[in-house]
Amino acid sequence: MGAGFVAFLVVLGVIPRLTQLTKTMKMIYLYEWAVVLGAVGGTLGSLRDPIFHTTAFITVPIGLAAGTFVGMLAAGLTEALNVFPILAKRIRVEDRIVILIMAIVIGKIAGSLFQWMYFIDQ
Amino acid sequence: MLGVKGMENTVYIRMRNRVQVKPNDSIFLKDIAQIISREEIHSTLEKLPVHKVSLEDNNIIIIDVMMVVRMISKQYPTVEVQAIGPPQTIIEVMLKRRPVSYSLFMVVWFLLFIGSAITIMNFHEDVSMQAVHQRIYTMITGKQESKPLLLQIPYSFGLGLGMILFFNHFFKKRINEEPSPLEVEMFNYQQSLDQYVILNENKESLKRLDDD
Repeated sequence: MGAGFVAFLVVLGVIPRLTQLTKTMKMIYLYEWAVVLGAVGGTLGSLRDPIFHTTAFITVPIGLAAGTFVGMLAAGLTEALNVFPILAKRIRVEDRIVILIMAIVIGKIAGSLFQWMYFIDQ
Repeated sequence: MLGVKGMENTVYIRMRNRVQVKPNDSIFLKDIAQIISREEIHSTLEKLPVHKVSLEDNNIIIIDVMMVVRMISKQYPTVEVQAIGPPQTIIEVMLKRRPVSYSLFMVVWFLLFIGSAITIMNFHEDVSMQAVHQRIYTMITGKQESKPLLLQIPYSFGLGLGMILFFNHFFKKRINEEPSPLEVEMFNYQQSLDQYVILNENKESLKRLDDD
């Protein structure tokens, strides 16, 4: 299970991408610890059910971070499947790939919002 | 002295990787290669006709460096030709480009949009994301909430943010100057295509493949 989680992160290249964006290659071992501690913390949280009784507004940054991470996983998966180069070549819109990416990005946001705000109630 | 003379008689050519031409163009040596030679023959070398694009050519023509060497040696039997760099040039004939149909583009856009929305919803159902969010919400606040939107709305926008971060495009504006994974991916794909046409469209390599 742990090995599967790490393999998933490695294949999709989320951590390398983040270090490349922020130019913090030297800190990469700390990022490893972040992943390990996060996995252990999540396991403890789901097994022990702790309750902290704090303000609900803390969920805003947590939700944003969770979403960003899942978004990067999804983007990494799309990229690993080589969808865009082939698609762009097929329909000959090499210069308008960004618009196609925006279709996927907006689709993700819209689908997710629709699910939480409406679909859940059905 | 002899050495200098020998060097003066050398022609260095370096084939370009990819060249785009129009149908019915004549291709000269200077179009497909960089040339270094002594002054007297330089301009004639540059205008050496290599190929005339005709309708029988498909949209990819491969010019092998050996063919170029043969042509130069035929014209100037005394010069020595040194080839540096890629052993062939890929010539891409730019046929009349059909304008991209906007309706087709819109269909693809819509397909990606709906597909992307459905896949994320399927993923959420698959991993019981709603239950996980409810539990996180309860863990933090101590309250039960069937729709923890305070967590879920930032989560939804985070999804888009994460994808944009990964692809390094904020609409048209870039976050930093490194190529994005997508551009690298496009480059790799083009390289693989080039590799394929070099082996399969080049008559010189095909001959060897046919023999065995």
